[in-house]
Amino acid sequence: MSEPEYHEDEALARASQGDREAFGQLYERYAERIFNYVYYRTGNLHDAEDLTARVFQRAMNHIRSYTNRGAPFSAWLYRIAHNLVANWHRDRSRKQEIAIDDLPILPAKGDHPERNLVRSQEQDALLRIIRALPPERQNLLILKFVEGMSNAEIGKIMGRSEGAVKSLYHRTLLALRDQLEDQNLSLEGE
Amino acid sequence: MNDAQTFPSSEADLRSLETRLSRTLKRVTPPNGMVERLRSRIQMPTRSEITLRLSDWRRMFFVFGGVISGMLILVTIARAFYYFAARSKTSL
Repeated sequence: MSEPEYHEDEALARASQGDREAFGQLYERYAERIFNYVYYRTGNLHDAEDLTARVFQRAMNHIRSYTNRGAPFSAWLYRIAHNLVANWHRDRSRKQEIAIDDLPILPAKGDHPERNLVRSQEQDALLRIIRALPPERQNLLILKFVEGMSNAEIGKIMGRSEGAVKSLYHRTLLALRDQLEDQNLSLEGE
Repeated sequence: MNDAQTFPSSEADLRSLETRLSRTLKRVTPPNGMVERLRSRIQMPTRSEITLRLSDWRRMFFVFGGVISGMLILVTIARAFYYFAARSKTSL
């Protein structure tokens, strides 16, 4: 990849002193990842876009008070995103909206575009089950599969040990498997 | 976890479930122009704006430098002219 040279610590230091260009570099780097996270947590394209903007607005407003405690900067962004998504779910439940939209189909990276248009019913069912899981389990699955992070990296973001993440992941898989079996969705035929 | 014990083929099931998860939870491409749209909403300067500012600044620098250099040349010519005019006056 021919990405321009990027030094996160330097960009962070400048951004925390109010340098908007440096913050712009951080935005460039993380906008897509945060969007993916919010997209899978909300299942709503427009709200995902809106919440992504709010994550970065909030980050920009509070970047001066950001202190590096050893966790990656992305952990801070994911935490902001997590809080905003939680508020979003709370507001929606207050408004008593009946059904959450099914996840609109967006092209997956590296996939043939036509394949995305025919997301199987199975995948939709699985997404629905995932979105009914407790938030931290959803976070774990998104970070693991969408972001391709290791248990150690996820641990840093979630503020847990690698072992705790591994254990949570195993319990999440078991819960998912049980849910799928309850709904008579076979695990065979892969 | 008792759950694991109740299903004899649990490891195979979990591996199969992981395969399904990796097929379902894929990184997606945001809608066209989203990154730029949000950037303007957050009010951060775009790359092109930064470049434009830089080129404007350079242009201003060259204009200012050009004007100063031009004035210096004019002053030098005027001084030289005054010097020669004064010299020819005294030689008379």
